[in-house]
Amino acid sequence: MRRGMVIDLRRCTGCYGCQISCKAEHGTPPGVLFARVLKREEGRYPSMRLLFLPVLCNHCAEPPCVEACPTGASFKWEDGIVDIDQDKCVGCRSCMMACPYANRYLNDSPQNYFEQGATPFEAARTARHQTDVVMKCNFCRDRVRAGKPPACVANCPTAARTFGDLDDPASEVSRLIQERGGFPLHPEAGTRPSVFYLPP
Amino acid sequence: MNDLATPIRDDAWIPSSCALCYGSCSILAHRVDGVVVKVEGNPQSVVGKGRLCGKGAGGIMTHYDPNRLKTPLRRTNPKKGLDEDPRWKEITWDDALEEIAARLRRIRAEDSRKLVMQRTTTVTASRLPMQTFAAAFGTPNLSTAGGGLHCGNGAHLLSGIMHASWSVVPDFEYCNYAIYFGASKGHGAGHASASNMGLAAEARARGMKLVVVDPMCNFASAKASEWVPLRVGTDGALALAMCNTMANELGIYDAAYLQAKTNAPYLIGPDKLYVRDPASGKPLVWDKAAGAARPYTDARPADTALEGELEANGVRCQPAFQKLKDHLRRFSPEWGEAISTVPATTIRRLAREFAREARIGSTIVVEGVTLPYRPVAAIAFRGAQGHKNSVYNFLAIELLNQLVGAADVVGSCLGFNPACGGFPETGRPRYVPSAGPDGLMTVGMWMGYHYPYPIAEPRMPRNLGLQDLFAMGMTSPFLDSDDREQMWSRFELGYRPEMMLNFGANLLMSIANRETVARSLAAYEFMVSIDLFETETTRFADIVLPDCSYLQTLDSRSNFPFIFSLPAGMGEWCWPIRQPVLAPEGGQRRFQDVLLELAERIGMRADLNAAYNASMNLAPEFRLQGERRYTFEEICDAELKSNFGPGRGLDWFKEHGLVKWPKRPEEVYWRPFVDVRVPVYWEFMVPLAEKIDALTAPRGLKLPREYYEPLPDFLPCASHDCKAPGFDLTAFYYRDSIHTNSFTMENPWLDEAARLDPFSYTIAINADTATKKGLADGALVRVETESGRSVEGRVRLTQAIHPEGLGIAACAGHWGDGMPVAKGKGVFFNGLLDLDWEHVSPVNLNLDLCARVRVTPVEARR
Repeated sequence: MRRGMVIDLRRCTGCYGCQISCKAEHGTPPGVLFARVLKREEGRYPSMRLLFLPVLCNHCAEPPCVEACPTGASFKWEDGIVDIDQDKCVGCRSCMMACPYANRYLNDSPQNYFEQGATPFEAARTARHQTDVVMKCNFCRDRVRAGKPPACVANCPTAARTFGDLDDPASEVSRLIQERGGFPLHPEAGTRPSVFYLPP
Repeated sequence: MNDLATPIRDDAWIPSSCALCYGSCSILAHRVDGVVVKVEGNPQSVVGKGRLCGKGAGGIMTHYDPNRLKTPLRRTNPKKGLDEDPRWKEITWDDALEEIAARLRRIRAEDSRKLVMQRTTTVTASRLPMQTFAAAFGTPNLSTAGGGLHCGNGAHLLSGIMHASWSVVPDFEYCNYAIYFGASKGHGAGHASASNMGLAAEARARGMKLVVVDPMCNFASAKASEWVPLRVGTDGALALAMCNTMANELGIYDAAYLQAKTNAPYLIGPDKLYVRDPASGKPLVWDKAAGAARPYTDARPADTALEGELEANGVRCQPAFQKLKDHLRRFSPEWGEAISTVPATTIRRLAREFAREARIGSTIVVEGVTLPYRPVAAIAFRGAQGHKNSVYNFLAIELLNQLVGAADVVGSCLGFNPACGGFPETGRPRYVPSAGPDGLMTVGMWMGYHYPYPIAEPRMPRNLGLQDLFAMGMTSPFLDSDDREQMWSRFELGYRPEMMLNFGANLLMSIANRETVARSLAAYEFMVSIDLFETETTRFADIVLPDCSYLQTLDSRSNFPFIFSLPAGMGEWCWPIRQPVLAPEGGQRRFQDVLLELAERIGMRADLNAAYNASMNLAPEFRLQGERRYTFEEICDAELKSNFGPGRGLDWFKEHGLVKWPKRPEEVYWRPFVDVRVPVYWEFMVPLAEKIDALTAPRGLKLPREYYEPLPDFLPCASHDCKAPGFDLTAFYYRDSIHTNSFTMENPWLDEAARLDPFSYTIAINADTATKKGLADGALVRVETESGRSVEGRVRLTQAIHPEGLGIAACAGHWGDGMPVAKGKGVFFNGLLDLDWEHVSPVNLNLDLCARVRVTPVEARR
């Protein structure tokens, strides 16, 4: 099994629902964005287009971050999810330098959004995260193991995201990649990402 | 029973409603041990369909913001101004309410109109309690912050007259070709925001072609099959040229629709008025079968003439459609190109595509019912109609739909749910458009102000907003404008405002430049603000009351009326409620309770009960009785039982969150089933202008008649006529999908997203234009109008904008300390806007939202 995600760029409308629902799901501290939305311009006026490009950890089949980690904190589960064992991470950032996608974050920023300190929400959710360790998306592994799709997939108002098993040729993700010409970002990096995009 | 029992772990998912924007999507709030740890969309609901935009997903951070108000505050500094510190002192609720009640009692005894009720657009459910209180108190002066002045007076008035609804949207499920003019429906903002995002995405996946006419490529334009950039504010010219191409060059129009469902066959005399039957007074049509003029009710629609030179009642006359066709000839695509910069070849192609894709004459079967099929829609909103030419701009675009019969039939331009047969078990709420004077459509359900049609008789004003004089006016600038005293004196208004009761509106930011609005706020003798935060506007209050957030409050109709924000098209009716998930903190109280308490203290309980009976349209057995005191829970319970039966009161709804039932094709596609017509020729404008002018001209205000002609024209904005050297760009506002008004700027998750967004907090300028001006990306610039108003911000060089446009997002640029996350973020576009008679539509009072500007670099500061 190799868990993967397909993001349909035709459907995505750049509402930031993924970015914010991820913050709500994980209570990540300021500056840590497991899911982000980029806006990219292509072409010149008036023959240009603006592209909304949601990004997250690619859960690469050949993850350079895991390779680079000196302590074994970064690892890959048997289902393909790339994860970080916070207890083993020493915050050396080797993985961040190795990741060609800049989707890892060192949790050394302020832990709360407001000057006054932690809100009850942050006390309940953000405080679970260790500081001075590296954080990233883990495809909402707890949700997935409970049979639910990742939070960004469940929430997307345009249903742009599909989650499934890339190893199963009959899965929805495999079918979409096959039929719509799904592609990963920066294939030249040679990491075999598990996040694929469908053309706009 | 067992005092020593360990408390049961609190872990609940509670169905309720979002209030981060007026879309009011249904949510499930996950509460664990007294803390809300997640808000998700409620998949049971049609409103949002279980998914939330960034704003909705981030609502927790607004709720838990430590900067929220928690205690009633009393001003001790008698001076009010932008730089005045109110010098708050904390007071008790009892003291606050008694002071407010004493003031209200006196005003109500003297002249109840001296009270202005002001509310935000953000919380849809605030409309009913505020309107009901105003009605009971006896003031017509109710305003909705910047709402209608900006997005809505044209869109809502015209959607009301032409579609019996508050707004319009493509029938996403069946539409094949939609053309948007400055609208974002389906792209992250607006009515039924999250639901429409899903529907629009499905339509894209299905292959619907979406053409977006907009000076900037963001949101809707970014998702378009084709982006058509144009000069700011010239949408109406483009639409008129398209109408001309369709009606005259191509000769494509839906004659059967025009004959049966519009006033196109009504005969128009040389005085621009209907030729009427002397006996019945009804407008005449030419009955080709009879070879004679007959009242429109007596001829078979198919027999009525749409074209020709005729004679009836001894006068030369023409069908309204002939008038329209002849009128449109002046708007050639070449003329349209000169005004809008859209090439004439593009205008002709778009018109051809729209007309062809309309499939005039075709039908389709939906759930066993054969219906007209017109899978095209022309959709407009703020960008197209936020101009002095508001009414004509919207009408010109709407005529595209009317020419091909693409109105409230399958695949076409739909009003949001104008006809509802009611919940099957009770038949409530039930409303259907009906025929008003001259057979023209009157809405079955409406949001506020006056019905869009019939138009009231203009009179010397009794409303501060002068909407009873300018009878098509809606949200009015004259509560705050620079010339308001001049206008009130001129029209002999017999009173002046004395007190404002504000719910959540930050009108210093949401209307126009802050100096003008600050003068009007400072002039109130007494102002009460019920708010979540100490906004810039709340700092002008005498008493501030801390409100509850959406996670602490109750609304029996979080998303009703359905004409506002329930998705249009087939699917289900859905009535959700909002219910408390958390208790108030400190001294926070729900504004609905505060209004009830005030009514109690000023002795108008019976009036308020009667007003609730009317505003909620309660069935007889659930009406509030006499002077009895009711809690808001009891009132909500009455409304729910009245609509859904005694078994479905508040307790039932608290458990289930919502009730839903299937829509029928005859409701969604009601147009063929309801005998009403809509005006493609606005005959009523002629007598309306005469009546208004008869009141205004003797008092020194000549009504500009060119805005009151029966057929639309392109009348330029001040920004189009500005010839001052150096003022070579037109600044415009646009709605950012990550923010709602000025409110969400304080939410740190949304702020974080907006800071990473290339456009949310910057000034978008065409890269070539900027280069010619020597401006580099990120340069700090001053944007100035000819009248000397200015704002500052950093430019974002982009290919995504018309070379003459300057795009500024959202209602940003907070300067107060009460919302510290928001402070200093983004650019305060409204600071460029003048607010007076010269800058509003003389028909519907919509503010002109484009500003001709000069852009200069700001020297580096030390």
